[in-house]
Amino acid sequence: MIRRSLSRIFWSAALALLVGALVFVPAILAQDNAEPAPELSPAQMARSNALSLKLRCMCGGCNDTVGTCNHTGGSFSGPCDTAKAMRKQINQRIARGESDDLILQDFVQEYGSEVLVTPPAKGFNWLMWIAPIVLPILAFVLVWELVRRWRRHSILLPEGPAVSPELLARARHEAGGESHE
Amino acid sequence: MDIFGSFALLLAFVAAVYAFAAGIAGILTRRSLLTKSARSAGMAVFGLITLAVAALEYFFFTNDFSMAYVAAHSNRALPAFYKFAALWAGQEGSLLFWSWLLSIYAFSVLFLNRKKHPELMPYVGVVLAGVQIFFLMLNNFVASPFHVLGAADASGVFHLARLSEGNGLNPLLQYPEMVIHPPMLYLGYTGFTVPFAFALAALLGRYPGEKWIHITRRWTMIAWGFQGIGILLGAHWAYAVLGWGGYWAWDPVENASLLPWITGTAFLHSVMMQEKRGMMKVWNVWLVFITFMLCILGTMLTRSGVVSSVHAFAESSIGGWFVVFLAIILAVCLAAWYKNRDYLRSDNQLDSLVSRESGFLFNNLILLAACFAVLWGTLFPVFSEWFTGSKISVGPPFFNKVNIPIALFLLFLTGVGPILAWRKTSLDALRRNFAWPLAGGFVAGAIALVLGFWNFYALVCLILSVFVALTIFSEFYRGARVIASRDHVNLVSAAGELTLRNTRRYGGYIVHFGMVLIFIGIAGSAFNRDVQKEMAVGQTLAIGPYTILCQNFDQVANNNYQSDRATLEVFRGGRSVMMLYPERRFFLASQVTETMVAIETAPLRDLYVVYAGRSPETGKPVIHAYLNPLVKFIWFGGLIVALGTGLALLPGRRAALVLRPAAERSWGGGAVADGVSPARIVARRTDGYD
Repeated sequence: MIRRSLSRIFWSAALALLVGALVFVPAILAQDNAEPAPELSPAQMARSNALSLKLRCMCGGCNDTVGTCNHTGGSFSGPCDTAKAMRKQINQRIARGESDDLILQDFVQEYGSEVLVTPPAKGFNWLMWIAPIVLPILAFVLVWELVRRWRRHSILLPEGPAVSPELLARARHEAGGESHE
Repeated sequence: MDIFGSFALLLAFVAAVYAFAAGIAGILTRRSLLTKSARSAGMAVFGLITLAVAALEYFFFTNDFSMAYVAAHSNRALPAFYKFAALWAGQEGSLLFWSWLLSIYAFSVLFLNRKKHPELMPYVGVVLAGVQIFFLMLNNFVASPFHVLGAADASGVFHLARLSEGNGLNPLLQYPEMVIHPPMLYLGYTGFTVPFAFALAALLGRYPGEKWIHITRRWTMIAWGFQGIGILLGAHWAYAVLGWGGYWAWDPVENASLLPWITGTAFLHSVMMQEKRGMMKVWNVWLVFITFMLCILGTMLTRSGVVSSVHAFAESSIGGWFVVFLAIILAVCLAAWYKNRDYLRSDNQLDSLVSRESGFLFNNLILLAACFAVLWGTLFPVFSEWFTGSKISVGPPFFNKVNIPIALFLLFLTGVGPILAWRKTSLDALRRNFAWPLAGGFVAGAIALVLGFWNFYALVCLILSVFVALTIFSEFYRGARVIASRDHVNLVSAAGELTLRNTRRYGGYIVHFGMVLIFIGIAGSAFNRDVQKEMAVGQTLAIGPYTILCQNFDQVANNNYQSDRATLEVFRGGRSVMMLYPERRFFLASQVTETMVAIETAPLRDLYVVYAGRSPETGKPVIHAYLNPLVKFIWFGGLIVALGTGLALLPGRRAALVLRPAAERSWGGGAVADGVSPARIVARRTDGYD
């Protein structure tokens, strides 16, 4: 009995939501920016913050991310209008339940790959990620090889005159204990 | 007066060309009179550029808005302090300022060495004049600061114009640090010209030995010190003015200033290899060449806006000139090196993998890797646009990902390197020297974990920082203990005596310690927090242990700006602890709005509050509060680095020791016993150069 009434409440609520969605979503989509800033849960806010640091503010006057843009001349200094509009767009999409990837993808479609703070490691841009890893490793191997060669070189040299224990002790004493060998 | 300034600049150009040509002629013909006149011309350049700078400043202080540069960067209401600084607010003035600072260095070098190194100095003079010619050419023919306002009419007659009021100085630059930050950076950029000139001169003139390194050590340190201070002041300015809660955004111009500092750091370390062991001669020469080229590249990135940047206050197509100049420098360096490569042949030997030498090798490797990563990321958008045609951005995530591991490895080497002995260190000695500091590091890490600070990189950074700090302390302690017991003084004054005796070594340790503090400060950013909230009077905002109560909003105005101000009271544990007044200023002359951040700074955390403006929807003021832990460590660490650099510049007291009786310090007198001087044994471990 209770279970049946619960399920009835559930279904009617679902129906109401569906009708609401059918009525309101097109309206919302039609006037994207007129929509008031949505209230986000703390988890959603964290996602919005993370996304805003992955996207560049496209105002053209700065080199900042959406999350950090604060350039001069915005009517609302810090963040500028462009950054705010982009932030709002992110929030609305999060509120609609879109995934991070989808949101990023749509921004790339709208503004070009420049909108991403770092380009994806694909095609030519793959070089950007790989070079700072490969080159130091190569250099490391090179230095290692150099060290080995220089060592071999030095082994061939004759040993210097032997140091007597007395002399070593004296030298240590005179060095004032600064030597620890 | 504008004629006066232009004429002084033109004469400076002529003098530099003469110094260059007569210098070469003097070297070729070996006529000392030619060489002398070349030197005098080189010194005269300084006087002439000084006159030009004075002329430009005169226009600023007399509000002469018929001058294009003055009209663009000043206005009547601008405080005098900033009128002076407006000299470097734009392209033309900055380049003039560059030339002027370079001429100060050139003059000092030529003057101080006028009776020294007669074989080397003519070459040095020629190289310095060559660099000056390039910049004076820009000053005279490409970006003259002495353009007057006006336009030609239909019949081609030029009519002068005079504005009644100037555009004002960019408000971003109206901040006390902005008066110091650019000169510091420019002193760094220009200062690296001196070691470059000596290195190239020594190579061209085949000047024997390591002398050029001894002569330029202090010059390099001065340039390096200024560059470092300039970078940190810039970071502090970004933190205090830009109002986004951070201090480093991996902006192309920030990166550009970091590059020569990194290679300069590598050079300051690797010269010791050459001084002590005669190794790495080719490497050192190329490090200086690269450092100088990075300085020119940095100036180019700053001035040309090739890569988009917030710093591009005055962008233009000047980049092409710099590219040509860079190509010329590279060609000259390559040719000089190829022709004289036999002169650089060095006797490279290593006794052990576990030695100071290999420590320096890896130090250089790591520094160059960091330099490459930064340069690569900075220039990659340009490459990408060339090759694929698509515009991309390379932002902070790339630089952080790549550089944090590199930096941590460098931090590790900072602890290990100084304890490694020259030639060879036994594993036993290693264990003895490292056990306690490393244990201390892990204890600190464990404490941080228990307190709940869980972030991998920050934790590694903390462990390494404590490790390095403890190795530095143990070095001081060991040295000071010996002096204390011998001279019967306390440990602190013994440590002072130790430092003054070998300023280079212990000054270096102090610099290392400062860097450790900076690393700790940067690691703190892993725990930054921020809250943004619309606030009406009487409402509160909670961040960390603080509650911020909005008391009032009001307006303040003067000739220069109008300001919206918030009055905030900060509570902690129910008790009022401070008042904060973040502002938004609207600058009248430039019609630009800026934030004035209110920062309450304490050793362990900064409370950083921005009045972000009014919400367009509700009209309520928006307050953005940040809680940034440990930021103060960065600025304090910077002070310590500057202090250590200053100490390392002082001559050590070692020279005085040599004069003491042989009985007391027999190695100083060069006593020889059993065929080996004790000094040689001692030198393996302790020496003025390590």
